[in-house]
Amino acid sequence: MSETAKLTAETRTTFGKGAARQLRRAGKTPAVIYGHGSDPKHVALPSHALGLLIRRANAVIELDIDGTPETVLVKDVQRDPFLQIVEHVDLVILKKGEKVEVEVSLRLEGEPLSPANATIDVAHVLVLVAATNIPQYVTVDVEGLVEGDHVTADQLVLPEDAELLTDPETVLVTIAVPAEEVEEAPAEAAEAAAPAAPAE
Amino acid sequence: MLIPRKVKYRKQHHPKRSGQATGGTTVSFGEYGVQALTSAYVTNRQIEAARIAMTRHIKRGGKVWINIFPDRPLSKKAIGTRMGSGKGSPEFWVANVKPGRVLFEVAGVSEELAREAMTRAIHKLPLKARIIKREEGDA
Repeated sequence: MSETAKLTAETRTTFGKGAARQLRRAGKTPAVIYGHGSDPKHVALPSHALGLLIRRANAVIELDIDGTPETVLVKDVQRDPFLQIVEHVDLVILKKGEKVEVEVSLRLEGEPLSPANATIDVAHVLVLVAATNIPQYVTVDVEGLVEGDHVTADQLVLPEDAELLTDPETVLVTIAVPAEEVEEAPAEAAEAAAPAAPAE
Repeated sequence: MLIPRKVKYRKQHHPKRSGQATGGTTVSFGEYGVQALTSAYVTNRQIEAARIAMTRHIKRGGKVWINIFPDRPLSKKAIGTRMGSGKGSPEFWVANVKPGRVLFEVAGVSEELAREAMTRAIHKLPLKARIIKREEGDA
């Protein structure tokens, strides 16, 4: 279940890529807070602490914005794909007792009967759950399943107050025997002798 | 080997190698991925060699995804040919890979086995790459 962490945020008054880069150099991450019809608030958060918090999906954070408390949910994270740094975060305001739509990842438990293998086809399910009770992951038990079996969304065991929003018939996990690697030496030799030219 | 079924133009200009990947930068299907750190033209032979290196090391179980496709033809003049007389004949099919792009993904095996298999795959590629793991927040 989600644990609430505390962070101190500063209101941003400068915008644009220059200001954002200055902030990042100073060890802060630009973020925006919105939701419930309120005007968006632009804030800066400490990068290191934020980076640790958002390692788990759907993190709930208690912000102190220049003395004003606000509970928020991490809605979107923009990362630099190469440097892996967090460039910007979208935060959505939470009200007390509010239910939120979140994507929760699946985690396999157990082993299917050999030689079959379990493959996750859909890695996340959409659930409606209380913001204070967001599960970190949903466990899918594949113990003893055989080739051809599959697990659909309606077979998931969700927390009590959670409601499944994904189509219940969606196949999440399939059990299949992996295909053996076929030796293609003769075919490869033939291709090497006559390299395929692009078609006109 | 991966090859386009049909192309509109046989001979193309060289693809641009500058910049970073804008899409396909996260592990989307599997649990672990090979992410490019430099740009390169990866040929269909290199992709196939990397795939074979991975699948043979994994042996049984697991699943491998190839996230790139060699859809750009590169031409080459024959050895000993004088300059001029038009563009050479199409020789290679390449995928234009830029830094940040996830090339391969693996799932269904232990982290140790996946890392070893992907290290073998990286050795077959003409670029620097690192192994990344799916993060919980990744879609």
